[in-house]
Amino acid sequence: MRHKLFSLPLLVLVTTGAPASEPREAALPGGVTEHDILPILQLRCVACHGKRRREAELDLRSRESILRGGKSGTVVALGKPLESLLIQKIVSGSMPPVEEQQDVSVRPVSAEELRRIKAWIESGAPRSPPEYYQAQKNIGRKLTDEDRAFWSCTPPKRPPVPEVNSSDLVRNPIDAFLLAKLEATGLTFSPEAGRTTLIRRLSFDLTGLPPEPEEVVAFIEDHSPQAYENLVDRLLASPHYGERWGGYWLEGAGYSDSEGKSNADDVRPNAWRYRDYVIRSLNADKPYNQFLLEQLAGDELLDYRAREELTPEELDKLVATGFLRLAPDGTNAHAGNFVPDRWDVISNELEVVCTSLMATTIGCARCHDHKYDPIPQSDFYSMAAIFTTALDPHDWLRPMERYVDRAPTRERLAWQASHEKVQGEAAKLESALEAQAGPLRERLLEEKLEKIPEEIRSDVQAASKIPKARRSPVQKYLVSKLKSELKVDDDELVERFPEFKSASDRTSMTLEVLREQERNKPQIRAAFDLGGEPSPVYLHLRGDPLNPGHLVEPRPLAIFNNPSYPYTIKPPWKHDGSSGRRLAFARWLTRPGHPVTTRVLVNRLWHRHFGKGIVTTLGNFGKTGARPTHPELLDWLALEFEARWSLKSMHRLMVTSTAYRQRSQQSRELERKDPQSSLLSRMPLRRLDAEAVRDALLKISGQLDPSLFGPTSPVEVKPDGNIVVKEVGAGVRRSIYINHRRTKPLTILETFDRPQLNPNCLSRRGSIVAAQALQMMNSETVRQQAMHFARRVTREAIGADEQVAHAYRLTLCRAPDSQDAQLAKSTLTTLRKEWIAKLREESTRESQGDLHTEADLRALASLCHSLLNSGEFLYID
Amino acid sequence: MTDNLLQNSSCPGVNRRDFFSHFGTGLKGIALASLLSPDLRAAESKPPKKNFEDLKPRPPHFRAKAKAVIQLFMNGGPSQVDLFDPKPTLTRLDGTASPARIAEELTFPKAAGGLLASPFEFSKHGKCGMDISNALPHLHKHADEIALIRSMVGEHFNHEQSLYLIHNGRIVPGRPSLGAWAVYALGSVNQNLPAYVVLDDPTALPVNRTQSWHSGFLSPVFQGTRLRAKGSPILNLSPPQGIPGGVREAEMTLLRKLDEKHTHARPLNPDLTARIASYELAARMQLSATDALDLRQETERTRTMYGLDGTADQVSYGRRCLMARRLVERGVRYVQIFIEGQIWDSHMRLKPHLLNATRKTDQAISALLTDLRERGLSDEVLVIWNGEFGRMPTAQLPERGDLGRAGRDHGPSGFSLWMAGAGIKPGTIYGSTDDIGYRAEENPVTVHDFHATILHLLGLNHRNVFYTQPSHRRDRLTDEYPARVVKGILS
Repeated sequence: MRHKLFSLPLLVLVTTGAPASEPREAALPGGVTEHDILPILQLRCVACHGKRRREAELDLRSRESILRGGKSGTVVALGKPLESLLIQKIVSGSMPPVEEQQDVSVRPVSAEELRRIKAWIESGAPRSPPEYYQAQKNIGRKLTDEDRAFWSCTPPKRPPVPEVNSSDLVRNPIDAFLLAKLEATGLTFSPEAGRTTLIRRLSFDLTGLPPEPEEVVAFIEDHSPQAYENLVDRLLASPHYGERWGGYWLEGAGYSDSEGKSNADDVRPNAWRYRDYVIRSLNADKPYNQFLLEQLAGDELLDYRAREELTPEELDKLVATGFLRLAPDGTNAHAGNFVPDRWDVISNELEVVCTSLMATTIGCARCHDHKYDPIPQSDFYSMAAIFTTALDPHDWLRPMERYVDRAPTRERLAWQASHEKVQGEAAKLESALEAQAGPLRERLLEEKLEKIPEEIRSDVQAASKIPKARRSPVQKYLVSKLKSELKVDDDELVERFPEFKSASDRTSMTLEVLREQERNKPQIRAAFDLGGEPSPVYLHLRGDPLNPGHLVEPRPLAIFNNPSYPYTIKPPWKHDGSSGRRLAFARWLTRPGHPVTTRVLVNRLWHRHFGKGIVTTLGNFGKTGARPTHPELLDWLALEFEARWSLKSMHRLMVTSTAYRQRSQQSRELERKDPQSSLLSRMPLRRLDAEAVRDALLKISGQLDPSLFGPTSPVEVKPDGNIVVKEVGAGVRRSIYINHRRTKPLTILETFDRPQLNPNCLSRRGSIVAAQALQMMNSETVRQQAMHFARRVTREAIGADEQVAHAYRLTLCRAPDSQDAQLAKSTLTTLRKEWIAKLREESTRESQGDLHTEADLRALASLCHSLLNSGEFLYID
Repeated sequence: MTDNLLQNSSCPGVNRRDFFSHFGTGLKGIALASLLSPDLRAAESKPPKKNFEDLKPRPPHFRAKAKAVIQLFMNGGPSQVDLFDPKPTLTRLDGTASPARIAEELTFPKAAGGLLASPFEFSKHGKCGMDISNALPHLHKHADEIALIRSMVGEHFNHEQSLYLIHNGRIVPGRPSLGAWAVYALGSVNQNLPAYVVLDDPTALPVNRTQSWHSGFLSPVFQGTRLRAKGSPILNLSPPQGIPGGVREAEMTLLRKLDEKHTHARPLNPDLTARIASYELAARMQLSATDALDLRQETERTRTMYGLDGTADQVSYGRRCLMARRLVERGVRYVQIFIEGQIWDSHMRLKPHLLNATRKTDQAISALLTDLRERGLSDEVLVIWNGEFGRMPTAQLPERGDLGRAGRDHGPSGFSLWMAGAGIKPGTIYGSTDDIGYRAEENPVTVHDFHATILHLLGLNHRNVFYTQPSHRRDRLTDEYPARVVKGILS
């Protein structure tokens, strides 16, 4: 049979750009059955013959629907491939149609694929036998007892709190666990840091902002025994807490305000709603298990489709699923919307879920069994099958289409009103342009007609005016031959008439601006179950989506299975076929005693408070990851957390410990006995992170707009290449509210290590590079803030000495000592002289008085600028 | 005269002249210590245990042929059958229907036309008798210097994906580029200039914007630094206009005293010392970069040779070629020259469109090759000329089917590029395409092969240039692809 096939000349048509797959006869002992050909049809046909679109009423998603056929009757003649319409259409090259391929991102059927479909029909289109489904359970490596005994695969156990010598240093069990190890090394905690250090450390840690000078004074003068705890409570209650810690969550989740992948880097107009959801949830101390349920399966928590109006809390459950919409997604463009591109999106979402929630590196298993951890390749696809209920590669919605069209009523009405206005204005503009185009078009048409030989000109003109159906063959011929001479399109007008070009350009620019508003329709960027029967998921041989292997079943990673809490899929309601797969996963993940869920979270919190995690590899608890430095402490914290799922209680526990209140002073002894500070014999000295640098600059200079929530602040690229926040109105918002477009990272944030998210980041790199020095020393941004800072200081303090002191308090949280004051004074004198000389040179008209005031201000700004550049400002003790 | 300015593989690290020049500009403390630390001198034959995070010079894996690279990147997809790969059969079959296999690869299937002969004549040049199109008259005289690969194979028909592929080895963004990997593995001998420099067109960023020189998951110190031809060459290199020198000095003095006090109270903190060093480096960079880009120091003859007396766009490209030479002379490891938009993307009006691109670049590139040779730098500097793919031998027709306005669609299956200079066997033609110039036939070279070959010329085994991820996966430029060094073009 095979040699005959290859002698068919038409086969030349159906090679493919995809790498040739090796013959799979060996893998198909029972011959070609249903599940060997369904994945081929998924790739090449179901874009138009599937669930959403069903050309010719033909559905090629299952054996049953294939046999049912479509509008033209059956498409498969059992045992007779060459008489089957399905095969004939493929062989003749009419399916998939050439003119459609680009628009639906489909490639032709390959010779090997065709051969398989033929073989299937030849043998009577058999189902896959029961053994096939049995085999599903046995793909890939088997788990061993050793695998199951690995620390992160066993549930956390509550350890006894150790006894220590210096029990007076134990404020809570955290201290006991840490001290036990320190004492074993002959060390103890470092002394408590001073109050200035503590309030600066706590404020940046919990809110990402420096304290105001009055707050520092109040804390220093608070002699109550609960002063520190009260401060902690006040900061945890601050709305800025949610901004700070929400930022960490968003980074782990891979939040960005654009799709990435392509150069178009389409903006995600409604992504910020998810950002606000996170901030709101953290500020409200939403229980972490609830937080996860909503983000993984909020759409399956309430039957939103059946409801007319949704409360803000209910809307939030849909917004929460934005968590599963954060990976780079270039599928808006046809060229980036092929099945492999869609799998990249799914794979990245899986990576986010697995690294940020489970500290599991699943990415390796996309192509082969994990080399170190007990994750067979099939686990990757089984996990994927949980999420393809929302992100189905064969029932794909492009990001611009994947929305839930619900919004708070007030927002919706406001948009409706502005939308109608925009429509009206756009129509006016377009008709004005057309009025201008009309006569020009006539003119150009005449010019073109004149080029047609005179003998036939009138015939051609007459023919073109007759409706298509009524033309004689000669007239048809004339019109088709000269069709480009008979019409004038806008491109030609633009080319021919410069004045029309400028009018047309102006109009399109205005329209573009208007449509920008239209795009910002209030909607929810959500992940939602697509309903109906989810497409079956097949493993990809060597990770190649064009090379499908065995069918897999939806289920979480086998290594975390616990017979007492099985993964049980139950549709949440009956009527629209929501599958319940993600809801089941979320419940499985938040069950009591899950080996990783709580450990991962408390470790992430620990990392932010203490500089590094108890497990330093936050996203990898596997064999290649680090082992916990304090395994008992980690388990104790995990179980403590699981009792209430409260993040704020966990923060409180960590930052009120003696360990957290230590000073950061390094010494020879500490360097020798605890070189990496992994025993926490001191607090680490840390640089402010990117957002803290920028937000602190703004707060100190008095320019910070402290309002919460809402659409993003736009950025702009300056001619010199600096990317800065666009100035609109007064006040600049915190970094979390900036439009974080992948192709336009704010320069100051990027310079200070805000990462590019591909797809997410749990722990940043802390670089020390010259670009940071250049940014702080020379950039317009920092210079401007120094100037605002100086103006603020002049407003709020009188006299040079008081102004210097105020500047110190604002940047460094302390007053200058005598040495500082002396240095500032002499520097200011020098600076003033320089500025006076410079200003004199520039302007002779200004009065002496003004000139001196201006020089004073500039000198002070220079001093402020140096303070903002100092190590003392940029580092936290 | 210049070999001592480039890293000498027999004596990696710093040479005498560099040492004193650093000393002269007041390099001290940690920066000097790091430059001279003994581990730099230890031969690293085994794969490194740790990921690199700095630009200290590191020895190659084996003796390097090339110490620096200048890559002339030709964005848009230069047409092989019109520039480097003459096809008499294509000329003969002009206007006939295109083979069916081509239809599947087209980006714009609806605009497909028949086979289209090249509007350019080809002639033989050099002792090697290399065929080069008459669209590149200046390149003719360098036929005996270059190695031409006519059998390059890409993976994607679209610009963006192909640009990612050619720059970072995969069709997706977010991975380190070739230049980033090169300086990751080798560091740089000149700590006062960026190790990896990008000279992009001042009129516009290339299509993939900064992604083409991104460092991906590698430290940002390996990212390409854009040196601008006008104004401050490096972002924020100089303070804004209008700040008097005396003020700057007073600010710097104040900052130094503040930092001294801060650091003194916090001993044994390498981060704080490194921070101070980064401010010193910033100051030195300002001097070095300004000097390196000062073309007034060049003779009139040189300036004319590079076409600096030509039209504005020729001057712009010529300046960048000349800057590239000055940068590699100063020890910059990897220089990439970009050109505006996608000027080689000839979808329409093939002939005038291509001539526009060749006119802007041909003379300057010829000057660069001549200049490097005359200065004895062609033994140390590798020059690469390449785009992201080639073009189809068929016509792409504009909407109204006007053959006179026809161009060519993207063609990733068989395209040409050339290399010259260090380690290259001159006057070589490697590989070939089928008789219409559509698909690579003899000795196909993948993009991964291309990358492996460039790393090889830099003295690096592509398998041993890797970054260990937190998952312990080793990421490489060539990933796990089967990649081979193209020995046929090596001297």
